[in-house]
Amino acid sequence: MTAQEELRTSRWALVRYRFALWLRSPRPYLMLIGFALFLLLWHLAVEVWRLPRFKDMPGLTTVVSAWLSRNPTFDVSIFTPDYYKHIWISTERVLKAFALSSLLGIPLGLMLGWWVHAKRFLFPLFELFRPIPPLSWVPLSIVLFTDPEAPIIFLTAIAPFFATTLNAMLGVESIDRNYIRAASCLGANQWQIFAHVILPGALPYVFTGLEISMGLSWFSLVAGEMLSGNYGLGYLIIFSFMNIAYPNIVIGMVTLGLIGYVSSALVRMTGNQLMQWRVRALALA
Amino acid sequence: MRRAGPEILCGLVSVTVFLLFWEAASTPGAWQLTEVIPPPSTVLRRWSELLWSPDYWRSWTVTTSRVLVGFAIAVVLGVALGLLMAVNRTLYGIAFPTFEVLRPIPPLAWVPASIIFWPTQELSITFVIFLGAFTTMVINVLGGARAIDLRYFQAARSMGSGAWDIFRRITFPGTVPSILVGAEVGMGITWAIVVAGEMIAGGGASLSGTAGGLGYFIWTSYVGSSFPDIIVGMFSIGIGGFLSSAALRAIGKLATPYLRQR
Repeated sequence: MTAQEELRTSRWALVRYRFALWLRSPRPYLMLIGFALFLLLWHLAVEVWRLPRFKDMPGLTTVVSAWLSRNPTFDVSIFTPDYYKHIWISTERVLKAFALSSLLGIPLGLMLGWWVHAKRFLFPLFELFRPIPPLSWVPLSIVLFTDPEAPIIFLTAIAPFFATTLNAMLGVESIDRNYIRAASCLGANQWQIFAHVILPGALPYVFTGLEISMGLSWFSLVAGEMLSGNYGLGYLIIFSFMNIAYPNIVIGMVTLGLIGYVSSALVRMTGNQLMQWRVRALALA
Repeated sequence: MRRAGPEILCGLVSVTVFLLFWEAASTPGAWQLTEVIPPPSTVLRRWSELLWSPDYWRSWTVTTSRVLVGFAIAVVLGVALGLLMAVNRTLYGIAFPTFEVLRPIPPLAWVPASIIFWPTQELSITFVIFLGAFTTMVINVLGGARAIDLRYFQAARSMGSGAWDIFRRITFPGTVPSILVGAEVGMGITWAIVVAGEMIAGGGASLSGTAGGLGYFIWTSYVGSSFPDIIVGMFSIGIGGFLSSAALRAIGKLATPYLRQR
């Protein structure tokens, strides 16, 4: 057995061991109780007791049967191509905005943290625009771009851009100055210091920023799609609201929650892959 | 300590250069880049006019009161739920997974459901604002309680403290810094949500006939294509968010004098 294979087996054994441990703890059962309680209360309040305000809401069985129906009343279920089109278009927009904000934000943040003059001149401007909520850009972005897709992507990219830049900057500033001094004493040039000290040193903060950014992208995307757009999950929610197709609102919300969760988990996993040294340090602590 | 002089000077220089660039890029002439965005001089002139308009100030009070009400409820309930989950393992086991499943749903996706559920638009906007700050508060309170050194609890228990003493002397004071951080982050989120909430839900103006908040102010300015007003609205909300975060930070410093030495 090669060392690589051995590592893989031991990792798999660790996963299995942890899962068995988890099954023996009360946690999975409490979790199921929590889910069951939530779903039961939803069902009872809306469909059985028909409480005053709750009875207009879409109920649990209505939503589930609409979602799983081959021939849904309101045209959206797991069997209709439209549902996947909404999902795909939203995902595509988020990926574009996330890529844009990361490609601009990470280099800018590293530069602001590394180069004092850049920070002195650019940071005040950055702080002037940061408090403006991303969604108040809606009207300007609609007017600025002629292409119908561009305003939504621009809008989705604003909030993640600020979060990514700020975190990358803080990441560089968090690096112990002695590492940089030691590297220059040993004869490293600027580029080597950047590649071997600054970049890996800032990486934990950069990935914290990216994870926050992923959440923020979905947050602004929904608003962007609600106000302008003709596909996407945010649009599905507001369109179903206006057409009184209430079960679709919940389908849209749950789908957004699922994809949002998966995308954040993917960013976190990529970060852990790139920062194995940190994962080990945290496991030992 | 370094002097702050050159920093402020550099900041002023860059902001001035930016404003000059914006002015040149938006006034007719050889440098013009955009015809839709008004130059800063026009925006400032419009802003000085609006300062005398009671409608502008009513938008301010409507939005601010919404933010404060939603935020206050979120802080009270969020701290309560967070502390309960931090203290009681069974409750944590039952409630936290459900909370985590609902959390990734963006707050603004709740707007239509909230309009259906609540009888007035005011309540539905406040509810969405509440949701955004609430999740942040709960996560921060829980994280803060988790980060308390285990040895404090062990020491207290070995010296005979009861559950209430441990809560009052360790869990609660240990969580206060993260409550403050959560409140600051949550305040930022509420300002971001209130704008979109007012734009999507129409700000309640169509029903009550009064001014509908700054988000609604931006939206009506857009519909009436008065672009200077849009920019005035954007910066007004920015100022509101900035001031409330600064106020929270100041309150936080007063509330935790023991953190000042660090």
